Amino acid sequence: MSKDSIIHLKNITKEYPGVVANKNVDFQVNKGEIHALVGENGAGKSTLMKILYGIEQPTQGEIFINGEKQIISKVESAINLGIGMVHQEFTLVPSFTAPENIGLGQEPKNNQGLIDWKGLNKLVVDIAEKYGFKVDPGLKMIDASVGVQQRTEILKTLYRNANILILDEPTAVLTPQETDELFTVIRTLVDEGKTVIFITHKLREVMEIADRVTVMRAGEVQGVSEIKNTSISELASQMVGREVFLQVKKDEAKPGEEILNVEDLWVHDARGLLAVKGINLSINKGEIVGVAGVEGNGQSEFVEALTGLRKTSQGSIKYLGEDIASSSPKNIRRKKIAHIPEDRTNTGLNTQLSIWENLIGNSYFRRPLSTRGIFNLKKIAEHSNKLKEDFDIRAPNISLKVKSLSGGNQQKVVVARELSEDPVLTIASQPTRGVDIGNIEAIHEQLVQMRDEGGAVLLVSAELDEVMAVADRVAVMYEGQIVKWVNPKEVDQAQMGLYMAGIKE
Amino acid sequence: MEKFSFKDVLVTFAGLFITSFIAWVLISATGNNPSEVAMYLYEGGFKGTRNIANSLYQATPLILTAVATLISFRVGMFNIGINGSMYVGALYAGWAGYKFTTLGHFTHVTVCILIGMAVGAAWMLLPALLRVYAGVSEIISTIILNFVAVLFVSYMANGPFRADPIAPSTARILETAELKQIFPNSQFNTGFFIAVFVAILAHFILNKTTFGYELRSGGDGLVGMYPSRFSSYLGIPSDRSAIIGMLISGALGGLAGAIEVLGAVRYFFQELEFNQGFDGILIGILGKLEPIGSIIASLFYGAIKNGGFYVDYKTDVSREIIIVLISVLIFFVSAQKMVKGLEKYPFIKKMDNFFSRKKM
Repeated sequence: MSKDSIIHLKNITKEYPGVVANKNVDFQVNKGEIHALVGENGAGKSTLMKILYGIEQPTQGEIFINGEKQIISKVESAINLGIGMVHQEFTLVPSFTAPENIGLGQEPKNNQGLIDWKGLNKLVVDIAEKYGFKVDPGLKMIDASVGVQQRTEILKTLYRNANILILDEPTAVLTPQETDELFTVIRTLVDEGKTVIFITHKLREVMEIADRVTVMRAGEVQGVSEIKNTSISELASQMVGREVFLQVKKDEAKPGEEILNVEDLWVHDARGLLAVKGINLSINKGEIVGVAGVEGNGQSEFVEALTGLRKTSQGSIKYLGEDIASSSPKNIRRKKIAHIPEDRTNTGLNTQLSIWENLIGNSYFRRPLSTRGIFNLKKIAEHSNKLKEDFDIRAPNISLKVKSLSGGNQQKVVVARELSEDPVLTIASQPTRGVDIGNIEAIHEQLVQMRDEGGAVLLVSAELDEVMAVADRVAVMYEGQIVKWVNPKEVDQAQMGLYMAGIKE
Repeated sequence: MEKFSFKDVLVTFAGLFITSFIAWVLISATGNNPSEVAMYLYEGGFKGTRNIANSLYQATPLILTAVATLISFRVGMFNIGINGSMYVGALYAGWAGYKFTTLGHFTHVTVCILIGMAVGAAWMLLPALLRVYAGVSEIISTIILNFVAVLFVSYMANGPFRADPIAPSTARILETAELKQIFPNSQFNTGFFIAVFVAILAHFILNKTTFGYELRSGGDGLVGMYPSRFSSYLGIPSDRSAIIGMLISGALGGLAGAIEVLGAVRYFFQELEFNQGFDGILIGILGKLEPIGSIIASLFYGAIKNGGFYVDYKTDVSREIIIVLISVLIFFVSAQKMVKGLEKYPFIKKMDNFFSRKKM
C-alpha cells in the first residue's frame, strides 16, 4: 500500500437481512486523486459510501483514514475526519439563500450571540472564490439552477473543512455544459489538495475526469484500474459481467407511411404559461424519432399533449389521419398508442398495487383476461408471467407489490405493459431513467425491435447518448420549439450541446 | 394490498399482552379484582348462546362501517363521515318502516333498506362532488357533515317525523319492516347475515372484477391518493372512481343505520347514539383494509364490546374502562414496528413465509 493513501476501506462486508450488500470489499483512494466508483444500481456503491460517511456500520472490516484506523459511528465523526458528501438528492432548504444553507447548523456568532450574517456571507464568498466558483449570496435556492444548487452543496462540505469529497451521481441532473463546469470545479478542488470520490455509471465521464477507477458488481470489487490503462468497453464488461454493446445494434430504418403528424402545436403548462410553441413533427411507420433537449424545455408538456393528459391550445395532432388533439387518454390508448411516461412512480405505476395489477393496466378489460367485467385470474397470471419472462422482470412472484422492486425492474414493468398490446405508435419519455446499464441495453433493444416490426416510436430523452444511439432522426427542443433537426450520425456531442443550449449555428 | 403475515399475529399477541398488563394496573387501581373482570369479559363475549348472539349483534354494524371505510380508503378518499351516513340511513329506514303500510314483508324490508342506503349515499354526494370539482378536502367536509347529521336527525325526530307526544321519536316500524330477531332476549337479527354477505361481495368486487380494479387503481392503500395520475394515465377516470367509491361508502353506512333500526331498535328516537362509524375506521385499518379481515376484526371487537357491557353489569368497573382498553389494544396492534427486525430469526422467517404464501 502506498503511503499517500488517504482512505482505505479494508475487507468491508455489510449484510442486511437476506442480502449481502458488500462482500470483502477493499477500496483504497490516494491523496489528491479523482477516484471514480462505478457499478450498476444495486452493485453496492452507495452502501460502501454510506459506511465511509458513517450512515451505516459495516458487519465486518476496518476503515483507515490517513493510515489511522477509525470507527465512523455517525455522520458527525465522518465530517470531523474531513469527509464530505454531496448526495444525489440535494439536501437544501429551498427558501434559504446559498450562505444560509451553507452555514446551517454551524453559523458564526457575533458578540451578542446572534448569527453573524455579514461574516457568514464573506466566508462563503471567500471559500467560493478560492475554488474558482461564483455564488450569488442573495439568491434563494428555489430560484437557482440545478448546477448552482449542486455547487452550493459542494460549498457546504468545504465550509465544514472537508478534504475528501464524495459526489454521488453528480452529473445525473446536469446538462452537458453544466457537466463541463462541474468538471472544472472538480479539477480546481484537486489542485487545491482535495481528494474526490466520484460515483457514477456514466463511463464516458469516468474516462474524462478520473485518475483511477474502482468497478463494483454484486457487492464485490471487480477491478481497480488506472484510467490510462483501461477503456470504456473494458469497464462496461467489468460492470455488467459480460460484453455490452454500447452502440445500439440496428439496421437502417425503413420508414413507411406517415403515422403521426403534428402541426403547429401550442400547449400551456400547469401554471398557464406557454410551454410548447408551434411544434411541427411527423413520425412514419418503422422509424424512431428522437427529441433531445435539456429538461424543462417543453418536452413533458409536448408528450402530455400527444397522450391526452394535457389539453392543446392550438394546432393539430393527426394520428392515421384523425385529429386526436385534446382527446381523452382512454380514446388515445384504445387507438393503440402506447406511452412510457417520464414519471415512473406516480404516473407509470401505482406502486401500492402488485406487479400483475400494474401489468394489466392497458389490457384488463379485454378477453380473455376478463369476461363481462369479471377477472379470469388464471389467464391474468399466465399473461403476467409471460410478460415477466419476456421482459426479464426480476421478482420472486407477480403478487409482490411494485414498490418492493428496484427502479430498473419497476421500469421494466412499465415497458412490458406498454409494449405488450402491439402498439402502432410508442411514445417513450425518459424510458431508461434510473435504470442500470444492462437494463438500458434491453430497453433500447425493445424499442428498436418495435421499430423493425413496423411500429413508429417517439423517443424523448434528456440523455443525449440515448437519443443519439437509438433514434433515426433527432429533433432538438429548446424553449418550447424545435430548433434543429439532425441526423444522429452526422453530429457530435459538442454540437448537440450547443443546439440544446439554443444556439442554432 | 398488504397481506396478513405472521408478524401481524405476533403484533396482535404482543398488543394483547401489553394491554392485559395495563388493564391489570388500571382495574387494580380502581379497587377491583382484575381476574374477576377478565373472567366476566370472557363470559360476556363468548359464553352461552345469548352472549354470543349479542356479540354478533354488536359486530353487525361494525362490519358494514369497516367495509364502508376501506372502500373509500382504497379509492384514495379519506371518508370519515360514515357515522353521518349511518344516522340519516337509520332515520329514513325507520321512516319507511312505518310509512309504507301496504307492502309484504320481504318487499317492505327491501324498500326500507334501499331507502336507507340511498340516503346514506346521498349524504356523501356533496363531499365527493366538492372534492372532485372544487378541491375541498373530503376530510374536512365529512367531519363537518357528521355534526350536521346529528343535528338534522335530531330535528327530524323532534319535528316532521315526530309521532310520540311525550318523547321525540318516530312511530314504531311496522312488523312487515322488521328484520327478525332469532334468539330470545337478544337483539341479534338477520341483519348480521346481510352484513357478512355485503362484506364478501365487496371482497369479490374489489379483487375479482374490472369495476373494482378501476375503483382502486388510483388508490389502494395510500389514503388520499386521489386524484391519481396513474388512473388518468391509463384512461380510467379517477374522478368517477372517487365519486362512486364515496357513494358506496355512504350507502354501506346507511345500511348499517338501517339494520340498527329495522333489526334492533325498531324506531328512531332523538337520543339514539351511534359511534360505529368511527369504530369502523379503526376496525377497517385493523383488518388491513380487506373486507374479510374486517369481518374478523369486527367479530373480535364486537365480542370485547359485549364483554365490556357484561363486566359493567356484573361488577363496579364501568364500561368506559373497557372502551379505554380497546383503544389501547388498537394502539398497540397498529404498532407494526414493535416486531421490526424479528425477521432475522429463522423460525420467524419460516412462519412468515408460511403465512404469506402467494397464489400467483
